[in-house]
Parts: sequence; C-alpha cells; structure tokens
Amino acid sequence: MNHRPGTPEGGIGLAGNRESGPLRRFSHEAMNTVFEVHAANADARYAAEAAQAAFALVDRLEGELSRFRPNSDITRLNHLTAGESARVGEAALECLLIARHVHDLTAGAFDIAIGTGLPSIEIDADAFEVRATASGVRLDLGAIGKGYAVDLVAELLEDWGVERAFVHGGFSSAIALEPPPAADGWPLTLSDPRQPSRVFCRLSMRQAALSASGVRKGDHIVDPRTGAPVRGRLAAWVAVPRPAQARDTGPRLAPAAVADALTTAFMLLTLEEIEALCERSPGLEAWVLPDGGSMETTDLRHFGGPADEGAGILPGPTTAGED
Amino acid sequence: MADENDKKKAQPPSAAGGPPKLDRRDLLMGLSTVPALGLFGYAWSRQQQYRSGKEAAAATAPAAAAGLQEINVALLGAGAQGQVLMEAMLRIPGLRFRAVCDIWTDYNQKRVVNTLKRFKQEPNGYEDYREMLDKEKQLDAVIIATPDFWHAQHAIDCLKAGKHVYCEKEMSNTLEGARSMVLAQRETGKLLQIGHQRRSNPRYIHAYTKLLGEAKLLGRIVTVNGQWNRAVTPDLGAPERYAIPAEKLKQYGFKDMHQFRNWRWYKGKGGGPIVDLGSHQIDIYSWFLGANPSGVMASGGQLYHDPQTHEWYDTAMVVYDYDTALGPAKAFYQTQTTNGSQGYYESFMGDQGTLLISESEVNYPGVLFRDPNAPAWDEWVQKGYVSAPKEAEVKEKSDSGAVADVRESVAPDQHTVPVSLRDPYHQPHLQNFFNAVRGQGTLNCPAEIGYETAVAVLKVNEAIEAKNRLAFTPGEFKI
Repeated sequence: MNHRPGTPEGGIGLAGNRESGPLRRFSHEAMNTVFEVHAANADARYAAEAAQAAFALVDRLEGELSRFRPNSDITRLNHLTAGESARVGEAALECLLIARHVHDLTAGAFDIAIGTGLPSIEIDADAFEVRATASGVRLDLGAIGKGYAVDLVAELLEDWGVERAFVHGGFSSAIALEPPPAADGWPLTLSDPRQPSRVFCRLSMRQAALSASGVRKGDHIVDPRTGAPVRGRLAAWVAVPRPAQARDTGPRLAPAAVADALTTAFMLLTLEEIEALCERSPGLEAWVLPDGGSMETTDLRHFGGPADEGAGILPGPTTAGED
Repeated sequence: MADENDKKKAQPPSAAGGPPKLDRRDLLMGLSTVPALGLFGYAWSRQQQYRSGKEAAAATAPAAAAGLQEINVALLGAGAQGQVLMEAMLRIPGLRFRAVCDIWTDYNQKRVVNTLKRFKQEPNGYEDYREMLDKEKQLDAVIIATPDFWHAQHAIDCLKAGKHVYCEKEMSNTLEGARSMVLAQRETGKLLQIGHQRRSNPRYIHAYTKLLGEAKLLGRIVTVNGQWNRAVTPDLGAPERYAIPAEKLKQYGFKDMHQFRNWRWYKGKGGGPIVDLGSHQIDIYSWFLGANPSGVMASGGQLYHDPQTHEWYDTAMVVYDYDTALGPAKAFYQTQTTNGSQGYYESFMGDQGTLLISESEVNYPGVLFRDPNAPAWDEWVQKGYVSAPKEAEVKEKSDSGAVADVRESVAPDQHTVPVSLRDPYHQPHLQNFFNAVRGQGTLNCPAEIGYETAVAVLKVNEAIEAKNRLAFTPGEFKI
C-alpha cells in the first residue's frame, strides 16, 4: 500500500488508502514536480481521458509560465529592458495580477520579481501588455504557477463532469472539489516537515484550496523586503475556499493560486500580521509552524477559519506525534 | 523579524483608482484603510488597474504600432492546434479576429470565442465555414487548423472567396488534395502558407543560411538522422456533456466522437505519426540538403496500439535516398509512440562536422561538433555564428616550445548555435504570413514547398505497405 507519500517540504498528505473503491489516481511530471488527479469516478477510461486533458493543460501552462523555458511569456518579460513592453497570454497575465494583488495584500512580503521588486513592471490588463520600468527584471512564478495550474485543472475536471476530485501539484498546491461518495470531504493531513510521520492535524476538505510552504534543512527563504534570509519559520499552510462563480463571466477567481502565494508570504509575516490578515479575510485559514528549536517545543499555530458551512475545511482531531 | 520599521511609505490610491498600496501598519491594523479588499480583489480591481496602466503605456507607446494596417482574420478549426495558433496570434500586433469556425460549437468554438472576447476581440462563431465566408465579407485571411482531410476543400474555398490562407500541415491527406490546393493558389493569386513552422524559426534560418550556406561548417553532408519519439498516451476523450450529436458528426465525415477526437490515427482522415510528426522534420531534411529524395524504403506497423482505433502505423523507420549537389546522401527517420526518450531532433552529419538541432528551446536547441581535422572555426566564432567551444582556453599551449601540455583529457570541441526563439513556436511563421499579407516579404513555406514535402512524406505509408523501396521521379515533386 502506497499511502501518504510526504513531500520533503512536509505540508499536505492525502490520508487513507488511495486505491480503495472507485478512487482513481493519475500522475504526470510537470513544473519540476509531479501533478496528480484523484478522481472518484466509476468509469476508469473516462477518468483517464479527463486526467490526460488536465495534464495537457498543465504542460501548456508550464510552457507559458516557466522562467526556465526560453520562449515562455515570463522569460520574454525577463529580457525586457527599461521602458520596453511585451504581450503575454491569459495565463501569465492572470498570474501577474494575482501576484500583484497578494504583493499588495501582504505589503510586499510576497514578491515574484527577485531583486528589482514588483513595482518594476506595469501591467496593462486591457491590452495584455506588460511594461518594464527597470532593466534586469527577473520574474519567477514558482510560488504561484502550480496553484494556478491546479485551479485551471479543477475547472477542466468540472467541465468533464468529474466533480468528485482532488488535484495537487507536488503536494504543495492542492484543491479539493466534491468529496468521494459517502465522505464529507477529502481526508488530508498537515505534517511536520522535519518528520513527515508526525501529523499535526487532519482535515476534511471540499471546495477549497490548500497550499504549503516550508524550508528543508539548510534551505532558506529570502525576505524580498529586506533581502535578508528569514529565520524562525519552518512551514506555513493556507486554505482558501473556492468561491461559487458563474463561469465565463468576469475574471477568474483562482483560490489555489492565491493560497499558493499567501503561504510564501506567511513564511515571512509576523504572527500578528497573519492573524490580522485572516481576520480581515472571511474564509482564509492558516497554520504556521514557528521554529521552536526542538521537536518538543514546536507548536502549530492556527488562524482564521472557514467562512461558512457550505465549503472549506472541517477540522479533524489534532493528533501530534501520531504516525 | 529583522525589519519592524516601516521602510515603505503608504501610497495613496492613485487618481485613476489603481491598487491601494499598503504598508505594514495597515496590515497590523486589519487593513482598515482598504475596506473590502478581499482575497480575490485582483478580479474586481482589474478594471481600474488596466486604466492606470493604459495611461502609462499611452505616454510611451511606439507610434509605429498605431499605423499598422489591421488584418481581419478568421480561425477555421478551433481544436488543440487552432488554439496554439490563436495563442501565438494574440501576441502579434495588428490582427483583428472576426470569426471562429468549428463544428464543436458547445466546447472548442465557445471556449475560443470567449478567450478572444477577453482579449477585446469580437469574433462571430460559426459551425459551417461556407456561412462564415458568406457573411464575413471583410475577412483578409483565414487560418486553417481543421483535420487533414478537410484541408483541401477548406483552403480552396477560402482562396476562391478571395482570402489569403495559412493552412496547417499536412497540406492534405492525399496528393490529389494537395495538388488542387497549389492550383487554386495559382488561379486566385492569393497567398497560401503551409504550416511547416520550422521554416520561419530563427535558429533553423541561421543554420541554413549561415552555418550550412555561408560557412559550410559541416562540409559535405552524407548522412542525416532524426526522430520524434513519443510516450504512450491515452486516446483523446471529450467531456460527455459536450458530445456532438451523431448526425452532425456524420455530416462532417466522422463516424463517432472517438474518431472526431483521434482522427490523426484513422485512414482517410489523417496520416498517423509519420505525417503528424515526421512531416515537420523530413521537410527540414530536404530543405537543408537542397534536394528532394530520390527513393524511400520504410518499415513500420501497428505494433502496440489497438489497430481498430489506430489504423495508421504507430511505428515507422524510414530511409530516404538523396542526390544532393555534393553527392549522394542517406537520411534515416524514426517515429514511434511507445517511449518518449530523447524526444525529437534532427542530426546532420557532414565530413567536417555535425549539427544536432531541434525546434525545442529545451532539448537539443542546437549543438555543433567539429571534426578534429576540419579547418578551425575561429572566424565563425568571432562573427558570432557559433559559440566559442567549451574548454577553448585549456587547449592553448602554455609553452610555445612544447608540442603539448600533457594534462587530464580534454573534451572535443562542442559549440552551440547562438540563436534562440523568445516567442511561441508558431509565432514567427504566422508573422511571416501576415507580413506577406501586408506586402512585406515573401512566404517561407508557399504551397509548392508544402506540396514537395507532402510528396516525400505521404510516400512513407505507401512504402511500409509495399515492403519495397519506392522511387521518386523528379517530376513527381512539380506541378
């Protein structure tokens, strides 16, 4: 049995036997990690076709968003000199708008523009054009692109009528749609990045996005506001409910992309700042693991909560230390 | 936190209503200065943001863009490939989408129309291309990305309606179809570009004109080797709720949704992997060798996939004979669909060097190996035609009196082709087409070249069936 394959960054695990019942799992390498679609669908072939379409979409997004692809939209922007502008596609534009929003929401703690800072680009959303106000812009959507891909996969699966599904990109960006039959939600765990068998909390999730950030031993995150490495934080998780939205009307609401960006910021913001943001944002829920020194003195901190009963996170029993 | 002091000053919302900037005190105070700024605030503030962005852009916009003659275009075929072309076209200035035509009205057509509307285009959707040609009188050009067996009829009718046409490869699934397209182009005098997009790729153009043409770095090319390997993938499906009614499928030549989605595998519709994949690269063989093949032998078959739903060969191994200006050459090509290892590339091997090239910007984007006895490439390195070899400085003799400085082994010369594409793969070829529509320059892959490649490629399926070497006559490539 192959259960709970914890990511090195800890974060999110899928609890229980994943092969039981009509549950089907499909995997695909993209964005330097593995994407998975879990579908509670009776028709195996149909579920496989839907997953295949989903993975083709993820590959397309990687081609447009990756800074490692020499002809992606992001690379093209990274080659602009001050005053130059370039056209981008819908995916890059939406990621940039979300990134700027979270940048503003977190007073700059989230910043996809390494070095020059996000104000070094101007986004003309009407014309799908991005202009550099400085040379040497280095955009990196690594902390938002997987979440955005997961959001779009969720939309695609709904189009296909595969509504009982759970999708994740490398276990760090996840979205739960409708739960499997006879379940309240998709069973998930949050675990200690230093010891994935140590489960902090069990969640049951539906119609919500959940993202994780963490540091491996020896790694560090740089605070874009100061350029200094951040200490004192081991991991952060963010849950954002999936808003009910009529499709094809207005801009896309991308909860996994927002959650993805917020987890990165929550590695940097103070606990007071995180608490303030959660209080101001109905539905936003966060878990933060400060570095308490030893395993015993590390306490998971929890902020915010689901906005309503209809969607989001149902907390399970917290059982620290359980295998 | 290292920096608790506010380094950033709160900026008031701009006059145009741009995004409010927050400082850290706002955050601690619960964002009190920004009521209702929710997690999805980017969605509602998008309106104001682009207004402020536009003012900034207007101050610096280049005047040339405004003077560009707008081209009215229609997309005929809005499936996977049509969407790739649309994405590339959205990055090209001066295009106005007037129409999108696809028989999958509830899914692909609707999605493409909606995407274009978000880009402030207002295309009309059509199921029947004849109705589109009837109503959209102002169209200048039609981009065709329908299944291969529709290409000839679609292209010819568009040309005869007075439109310039960009048609995806394969030009047609039959030589009769391809020939009739060439004739229609000549008769109407309109432009017909075939979608062998490597012909406009700056790396391939550099390799052809500079490396092979001017510098002749490879010497005489005697052998060519290339492949496109693809891993096993499930057949393409479709969302059940958007299934096309059987009657409509039949009307457009498909027996069911499976065939509609997987037409490339069916005889009479597409040509299988040798046509879908091989055609792009075999086109380059003939281009770089400066000749059409004189013969072909091939082995292939339905080795792996269900032959009921995969009527064409899933595996093909091909050897072409060429008679080039410098002498005879052999070119091997392989495509298979059971293992994607090493992907796709073309390797041109001459008596003085090798060029390993592919369209991909990630895998094999252009490497050159110099034969150790070939003349030095210093001149071409200086001119920027090829990159400096790795290890160059190590090979310099440290003492002029010595034959060699004996040391750990040094790798042979390896150069890269210092040209890459910053745009989506199909953008330069589309740009070439639209430039020609504006009267600027000529097509990189006009109908005659598309036809020559179709002759070379479609013969492979015949050769596999015949289990025999098949000869080409020089006249076969001409109309």
